[in-house]
Amino acid sequence: MKHHRPKVRPALAVALAAAAAVTVLSACGSSSSNSSSNSKAPLKIGMSLPLTGPVADVSKSGYEGYQLWASKDNANGGMLGRKVKLDVLDDGFDPNQSGSNYTRLISQNKVDLLLGTFSSLLNAPDSAIAARQGMLYVEPSGGAPTLFARGFKNLFFAQPGTSLTLPDQFVAYIASLPAGQRPTTAAYVTQDDPSASPAVAVFKKKLEALGVKTLYDQTYDPSTSNFDTIAASVAHAAPQLVLQGAVAGDGAQFARSLQKLSFSPKTLFQINSPADATYASAIGGAANAEGIFTALAWSPEAKYPGNAEFVAAYEKAFGHAPSEDAANSYTAGQVLAAAVKAVGRIDQKALAAWLHSHTVSTIVGPMKWDATGVPEGSLLLAQWQSGALRILAPKSAATTTKIVAPKPPWGT
Amino acid sequence: MTELTQTLIFGALVGGVYALMATGLTLTFGVMRIVNMAQGAFLILSAYLCYSLWSHFGIDPIACAFIVTAPMGLLGAVLYKLVIERVQRIDHGLTIVATFSLALIAEAVVALVWGPNQASTKPHYFNASFHIGSLVIPRAQLYACLLAVGVTVALQLVVRRTWLGYAITAASENVEGARLIGVEPARVGLWIFAIASASTAFGGAALSFLYEFTPDTQDVWIAITLSVVILGGLGSIPGAFAAGLLLGITEALTSTYVSVRWATAVPTLMILIVLTVRPQGLFTRMTRQDVVA
Repeated sequence: MKHHRPKVRPALAVALAAAAAVTVLSACGSSSSNSSSNSKAPLKIGMSLPLTGPVADVSKSGYEGYQLWASKDNANGGMLGRKVKLDVLDDGFDPNQSGSNYTRLISQNKVDLLLGTFSSLLNAPDSAIAARQGMLYVEPSGGAPTLFARGFKNLFFAQPGTSLTLPDQFVAYIASLPAGQRPTTAAYVTQDDPSASPAVAVFKKKLEALGVKTLYDQTYDPSTSNFDTIAASVAHAAPQLVLQGAVAGDGAQFARSLQKLSFSPKTLFQINSPADATYASAIGGAANAEGIFTALAWSPEAKYPGNAEFVAAYEKAFGHAPSEDAANSYTAGQVLAAAVKAVGRIDQKALAAWLHSHTVSTIVGPMKWDATGVPEGSLLLAQWQSGALRILAPKSAATTTKIVAPKPPWGT
Repeated sequence: MTELTQTLIFGALVGGVYALMATGLTLTFGVMRIVNMAQGAFLILSAYLCYSLWSHFGIDPIACAFIVTAPMGLLGAVLYKLVIERVQRIDHGLTIVATFSLALIAEAVVALVWGPNQASTKPHYFNASFHIGSLVIPRAQLYACLLAVGVTVALQLVVRRTWLGYAITAASENVEGARLIGVEPARVGLWIFAIASASTAFGGAALSFLYEFTPDTQDVWIAITLSVVILGGLGSIPGAFAAGLLLGITEALTSTYVSVRWATAVPTLMILIVLTVRPQGLFTRMTRQDVVA
């Protein structure tokens, strides 16, 4: 029995060849531009946020910042003639979940662009996934030095400073004090966190160089909820300056423990927490917050282009004042949009290259990055005064010349 | 010396709080051999109920505890009848899966109703203290500890002095023997679940003014309460109280004299040691296992 090879009809062969050619061409095109295949479809921007879990409050306002940026961008015509659509997944502040969410956004949801999440804890693995997939990654949070030591060319931090430059303005303020007014002793407590711990280490090193003696230095686990014994040890050491590397609610919890002991240090600096919208309420009212220092990436009163409009639009949209986290995510959106509009296409490498060589105007001021994505600037020094955070330094952004020192006793 | 005394005071007060949180689990785990993974979620639910009563009506969280007791007890009874009793009939081991599912559902419901933001009640004593010389006694912790003592004594009286208590004891020691004397273990189980859930009202109230909490804070508390129950010995209410104190004091001493970082590892280390050296728990006697159904 003879087997015949089936004949392929010429017309069918031509059609198959044409289809294969189209497939190959479209595949080649998609590596540099997803937009060419469906130019009027919304531009999908993916992100995984801790919308539930221990930092859900912070993330909520951050998400609102992203939403506002997207709606404002859409009102101005979107990007590349396409509307912006956010593709948001919840990770519950779990780094494993966050990582798998970004993988899903890239491989299954086929997002055109990514935006970062909150905390160094989550941004560290997520930015690595983005780097592996060749995606641009602009993050609103995550200033831990370890994130920028990996040599990623696609990572950009959308705040004016990182953990390493966070202490700059406060240390400069301490250094500017006359010898008689400068604190001579300090206690350091910090959460074991990739962003807070290195910042506190820099504080300690620089303050010790100024002659401030360390009396207490402890790192606590992120799961710590009871700060009474830590506060008691701090009070027992009786330092003039207390510095806490807080991440979220741990700042308010520690302040509450200090209140129970009626121990009010002359100077109290906390990272992150004092900028939370609920901070003053959590520690018993604005009177208790009076005189507490912190570092900020953004101020609602800063005169940078678009900042006043951002504050007004945010208050109108959400019915409350924007937090620093909202401003940071809005800034990340601004950075991404500036690159896309300048490059004119979705080409991840070209977008990163453009950001490495240009300055972007944002609501936190003009931003420029080094080769590893570290912004070339520093954070603002702020202090709670009369129920609000006031900017003390740098002078160009200062909203007051008054400094509350020493910190008044609790509740006065 | 002052530092040591202060540390011991803090440790004892925190230990009392731990004991208060663990009371319900002591009953379900100790008597029914059910690891109620939803206990932490019930605590958080109680805390949120107290928070709502405090923020809307200005009711002191401690008074809220007495109001929240009844609905929480009812919730426990309903869940026992609808879920636990049925699952138990199929496979006792599945109850841990069922209660874990309940915990996840409760967390989601709490997040939907109250949102993901941190919450806490702030009665006038939340950050106040009694000062005795150079020693400080935080009022919030003291009140929580007194609540723990009160709940422990009340439950101990129920177990030792009431027919229900005798039935609980009989059902926990020998199910078949209990049936012979007219005690129906399923009905006892219903009561235990109701009492255990009701007791979370006090733990939740204390939690609401001691700490900031979110819907997922239950994860922290289920770990601590399980540690307390295992250390104290299954089913021993005074044992759980003593274990809570021991745990709190050891944590405080570790935090002050060893390292803050090591303090969070204390419960795990203590469980490991106790399970190796005295598996029946520190405060209970070894019983014959062959007569326990």
